[in-house]
Amino acid sequence: MTRIDLRDVLKRTVSGVYGDLVTRRTGQAVRDGIEELLADVDGEQVAVIDFGTVRVLDMSCADEIVGKLLLTSGAARYFALVNLHEGHLDAIEPVLERHGLAVVAQTADGAVRVLGSLPDAARRAFGVMLSDGPAPADEIARRLAVTRDAARAAVDELLRLRLVLPDAGGYQPLRCA
Amino acid sequence: MTRVIEVPAQFDDRSFDQFAKGFAETDGRRVLFDAHATQWASPYGLVGLLAAGQALAEHGAERPLLTLPQDRDVVHYLVRTGFTRHAEELFELHGKVPRVQAHGDSDVLLEVTPVRGADDVHDVVGRIQERAAAILTGELHLDPQATMGFAMALSEACQNIVEHAGTGGWVAVQTYTWRRRLGRRVVVIAVADAGVGFRRSLEATQAKRFGDRWSDAAALEAALIQGVSRFRDPGRGQGLAGIRRYLNRWQGKLTVRSGTARMALVPPWDDDVPLAEQLPPFPGAQVLMIVPAQAG
Repeated sequence: MTRIDLRDVLKRTVSGVYGDLVTRRTGQAVRDGIEELLADVDGEQVAVIDFGTVRVLDMSCADEIVGKLLLTSGAARYFALVNLHEGHLDAIEPVLERHGLAVVAQTADGAVRVLGSLPDAARRAFGVMLSDGPAPADEIARRLAVTRDAARAAVDELLRLRLVLPDAGGYQPLRCA
Repeated sequence: MTRVIEVPAQFDDRSFDQFAKGFAETDGRRVLFDAHATQWASPYGLVGLLAAGQALAEHGAERPLLTLPQDRDVVHYLVRTGFTRHAEELFELHGKVPRVQAHGDSDVLLEVTPVRGADDVHDVVGRIQERAAAILTGELHLDPQATMGFAMALSEACQNIVEHAGTGGWVAVQTYTWRRRLGRRVVVIAVADAGVGFRRSLEATQAKRFGDRWSDAAALEAALIQGVSRFRDPGRGQGLAGIRRYLNRWQGKLTVRSGTARMALVPPWDDDVPLAEQLPPFPGAQVLMIVPAQAG
């Protein structure tokens, strides 16, 4: 797992004076900084992006940092967003919806969930893995009372979107910590 | 010879079209903006007046004159809001500009501030958080998290200038108690520029799609309702939608005026029209956001 503090990236790439992630220009610079940090990191490691020190995040910046990062690197790398408060969610969720993206996120109160666009069946499969522990597709089918094919399709979708990881014959949601 | 444009006695979003009508009739003669009888001006009026001065400057017109209000309190207010400091750059001021000490407890949450680039947006967002958080939560009873949304909305409105206007603009934020109109306290954000406006900004990508319907109103509809942008990047065009969502959640009001049209997100407490067309033309775009106090 690689943890990236956005305030540190902001300080390094834009300015030590700013405490907010606003404007597209800032978002581009921060995304470049994140990609630079991850250049030498194995794609199988989860990149955990920490919003805990960010006060304000506007939609333009969210689009550059989260939207474009997932669009360019989301197929080759696991991402999780942590320490999100309501203000962050207000900016990030519409961006994900607009691009048809999804990401695992942990809010400031510790709750983990998938943000963005995800079919209902896949969201429920993610939920049962989170609440009842890692499981193979058959077990997920049993827990959700759906067919094996339906559970398999849900898991495949979660794998495609890199929201779960294979785990000892089963699957588990990305770990945020 | 000068052409006189009267600044309304109560200069706000409601009287702005009267001001714009005078401005639209400028005819090459030097302009005198006559505010001597002005008794009150909202942030919307102030940033709109600066946009008018800016438009004349950018068209190479002779530096316009501005007669300051006679009322002592009004002219003190103009100084306190930072208006006169920027007006001095655009107008030849007539009337004494008093020295006014800064008020620590001022209702002016953000003085009239120029917005020319991304650094200005950072500056505006940083300053508003320092000053506004206590007022938004303590006096307007907004959830503490709503102050983040407030800063987000302010940021996006300012970025519209940076990204689309093709020139600079101004922003100002203030709180009031609207006794007659609403019976509550409100916070008002006004943003104005004298740039290309929504219609010209979107023309290359949207005019064909609208065909004969293409107009200032259609451009506002495309930007506000459909979330389109002049950029082909699908991530663009989300800012105004974010502002709408934020204001909707807090029963706020949004108006965007550009060219000859004005579109509004009208909350239940207001009686404005959702769309006004065939208004007197005015350069650039003018955005007004009003967030009312929530039930305490």
